Amino acid sequence: MKKIILLSLAGVVALTSCKKDEIEETNPINEQSVFTLIKKDTTSNDYVVSLFAKTSSIEVGYNNLYVSVKNLDGTNIENATVTFDPIMDMGTMSHGSPLIQPVYKSGSKMYEGVVIFTMPTGDMGTWTMSIDVNGGSTTFPIVVETSKPNTKYVGSYTGTDGEKYIVSIVKPFSWSVGMNDVSIMIHHRMMDSFIAVDDFHVVMDPQMMSMGHGSPNNISPTSDGNGYYSGEVNFTMTGDWRLNFDLIRNGDTIVTGAYIDIMF
Amino acid sequence: MKYLSILILLTISTEMVFSQEDSIQKIQHYKEVIVQGKALKDDGDNGFRLQSSTESLLNILPSVTMIKRGNYALEPTIRGLNAGQINMTIDGMQIFGACTDKMDVISSYVEPTNLEKIELNTSPDGSQTGSSVGGGINFKLMRAEIGASRKFNGSLGAGYQTNSNYYQGLGKLQYSAKRWAILVNGIYRKADNYHAADRKEILFSQFEKWNAGINLAVALNENNRLYIDYIQDEGYNIGYPALTMDVGYAKAYVSSITHQYENIGKTLRSIESKLFFNYIDHTMDDSPRPKEMVPIRMDMPGTSMTFGAYSKANVRLGSKHLFSIQLNGYQNDLHAEMTMYPDIGSEMFMLTVPDARRKTIGITLADRWIVSNKMKFDFGGRFELNASDIVTEIGRKTMTSFYQGNPDQTRLNGNVFVNTNYKLRTNLSLFAGANYGNRSASLHELYGFYLFNRVDNHDYLGNPDLKNESSLNGNIGSELKYKKFAVRLEGYIYAFSNYITGLVVPEYSNMAPGASGVKQYSNIPSALLTGAELSIIYNPIEALTLQSINSYTFGIDNEKNYLPYIPPFKSANSIAYDLKGFVFKVEHVGSAAQNNVSTERYGESTTPAFNIFSFNVQKYFHLKNHKRLHAEVGVENIFDTPYYEHLDVMKIQRQGVNVVIRATFIF
Repeated sequence: MKKIILLSLAGVVALTSCKKDEIEETNPINEQSVFTLIKKDTTSNDYVVSLFAKTSSIEVGYNNLYVSVKNLDGTNIENATVTFDPIMDMGTMSHGSPLIQPVYKSGSKMYEGVVIFTMPTGDMGTWTMSIDVNGGSTTFPIVVETSKPNTKYVGSYTGTDGEKYIVSIVKPFSWSVGMNDVSIMIHHRMMDSFIAVDDFHVVMDPQMMSMGHGSPNNISPTSDGNGYYSGEVNFTMTGDWRLNFDLIRNGDTIVTGAYIDIMF
Repeated sequence: MKYLSILILLTISTEMVFSQEDSIQKIQHYKEVIVQGKALKDDGDNGFRLQSSTESLLNILPSVTMIKRGNYALEPTIRGLNAGQINMTIDGMQIFGACTDKMDVISSYVEPTNLEKIELNTSPDGSQTGSSVGGGINFKLMRAEIGASRKFNGSLGAGYQTNSNYYQGLGKLQYSAKRWAILVNGIYRKADNYHAADRKEILFSQFEKWNAGINLAVALNENNRLYIDYIQDEGYNIGYPALTMDVGYAKAYVSSITHQYENIGKTLRSIESKLFFNYIDHTMDDSPRPKEMVPIRMDMPGTSMTFGAYSKANVRLGSKHLFSIQLNGYQNDLHAEMTMYPDIGSEMFMLTVPDARRKTIGITLADRWIVSNKMKFDFGGRFELNASDIVTEIGRKTMTSFYQGNPDQTRLNGNVFVNTNYKLRTNLSLFAGANYGNRSASLHELYGFYLFNRVDNHDYLGNPDLKNESSLNGNIGSELKYKKFAVRLEGYIYAFSNYITGLVVPEYSNMAPGASGVKQYSNIPSALLTGAELSIIYNPIEALTLQSINSYTFGIDNEKNYLPYIPPFKSANSIAYDLKGFVFKVEHVGSAAQNNVSTERYGESTTPAFNIFSFNVQKYFHLKNHKRLHAEVGVENIFDTPYYEHLDVMKIQRQGVNVVIRATFIF
């Protein structure tokens, strides 16, 4: 009993301290404290843009990103044309990443979009992000963190058709033991553009790698359009899970052995 | 309670019904084993049975066979029925093991020092406090005696067995006043690995435990008494050679308060009411095992908490009827989890019993109708309502892994029975009974999540859609009783519907490393169990007693597969000779081969026959002031015969030759 009380006390302390951290890290001028300010800058045509994420940092894989656009006097701009352009500079070459361009949402009063960073910032290269508002832009470096150990949220695979495909897991997720909704995105890389692919038949097989067993009753993701596929995954226990995917088109397996590693 | 009724009945109608009260009756054990107390003959009070183990006492009963997983916590089966099919209670209290691998059967939490007697029912009847298809076992606790002839009495004992370097120490002490009395008892037992024939060491068969019990009895007035009971039982470092894991600790806390009203002269003869609470804390772990034996390290703790109450009344209706009514209710909460530690990767966690709860209320009505001094009937029934559900969010999420839909459920269970006894002649009586009973699936059978069964090497999944298992049961027999000779023969048949067993789910992959697959608890349409028990006792001369207990069981399912856990023909025979107080006893235990197995279906394989012999000599030395010393020396498995029984998991050999020395000082 004593232990339980101590534990719950510890829990309360931990919870309150977490909250505190969040508040400190977030932008005090923004009402919604769940957002973390990544960068605030002014475009060449004098719009103040702030890039936010709901996570404390940007990590490799699928990221929901939020752009606030204001006049110099602080008025929120709701009807601008806003675009992202993330670039990975690897010295001898550079490339972009799959993304969904931001669209204004009245709920957050921000332009909401998605960027799937295919690699972290590191020795291989660094990321810059350009944000364009009504034709004027700003470019700044951003740091893409690696995902936590034993996880892999995005992968690039060469198909039997010689094309490159990018498979990523959609966030946010909050895994628990039992059945979980799962959603992935599939993109086709063509030169420097990334096209959402909707015509794959996906077969998913979750495996607990350290024990060599799978799980029953999974529902392989099916296309929802715009590159999204959703299904259900059964985690019979916590730990390191690998989601294996086969991408099949017209009966031909184009990509086999694509995988996402998650840990909870 | 049937036995209470019997006791009461005995006091009022000894002349009427049981006029043949002879010495031979006392040493026979068909349906009960008396451990200590007034029911034993004078010499046996504080008797040598205290030095025995609960398991070996259970083994005396012809209908009981033990499933062995180690040298500890052997699991009793009644005519091959086990687990959820039978009820096990401590002094009428429900208590459920916490271990998902059946390492902590209830009988492992009570010691002979706690017990007055062990009561067995082979079919549903009026003493049932839960739904079952196969009867049950009740461990009746020893109560302090108010107004005993001596203020202080008790005993102290010690025992040693060579085979496993086993020693035990025990004691009990009673203080008895005019209006109250207190009884305390305790035992400590410790064993190293035991050795099979040829001194082959059975690794991971060690154990250590202690158990302490206290009973306080207070006479409120002439007719009302209050009893407070508490037992604490803690086992440590218990090896299970037949399983993949051992036990770090197994702890039980059993408590109750009982009020008893008794007025034999009145129409309302007695009311007994009890409030009880018990808690079991159990943890399986594999840390003592070498790395190469353990594919993946894991901890599997589990808890079981039960509380409840019952109240039962005995009413005498005229001179021909003794009516009893019992109301009871209880709640059981089970939690079991598993954490695995792989060499690479992060640790894994899951619930194996996802926080399941069952609440039960029930009523039992029974009547004993004494038709004449030749014939009596016992008849009645029990009806109960139970509600099972998953009480935590993580538990409910876990269930979604294999079950779509709401796992919560309410069920109605019950049984009806009639038993009759007809005295054909003074020395010959016939008895017969018929009953119908059904049971809910146990919480493990409803909600279990990848429970590994070593017998068929499968992971088991629960099934909330299980139908109630039911049995139509009949038994018939006769008892011949002369002064020097007694025979009892009983035959029985159980016809099951919706028999619960595991069926392979081929599309599921096993979780336990090395398992052959996954089974899910399912109903099969029917199964049949039949058998017979024969006991013979013969006293050609006062000093010589010959005894033979034999049983045979046969079980098949609807597809003619032999049922699992069915003991083959077994026979226990003994000759005891009393030479001036020295009792010499030679015992033979034998078993036929069991070839009725369904390897494909239930994972069992055949077991060869065996015969083992034991010898022991014991004596009471009478000392001054009613003090006595009981001493016993014996050799078990004299010929060091290698053997195992059919119900022994993984066919691990039993003990080879073993010398037993015990001494008890009674004061």
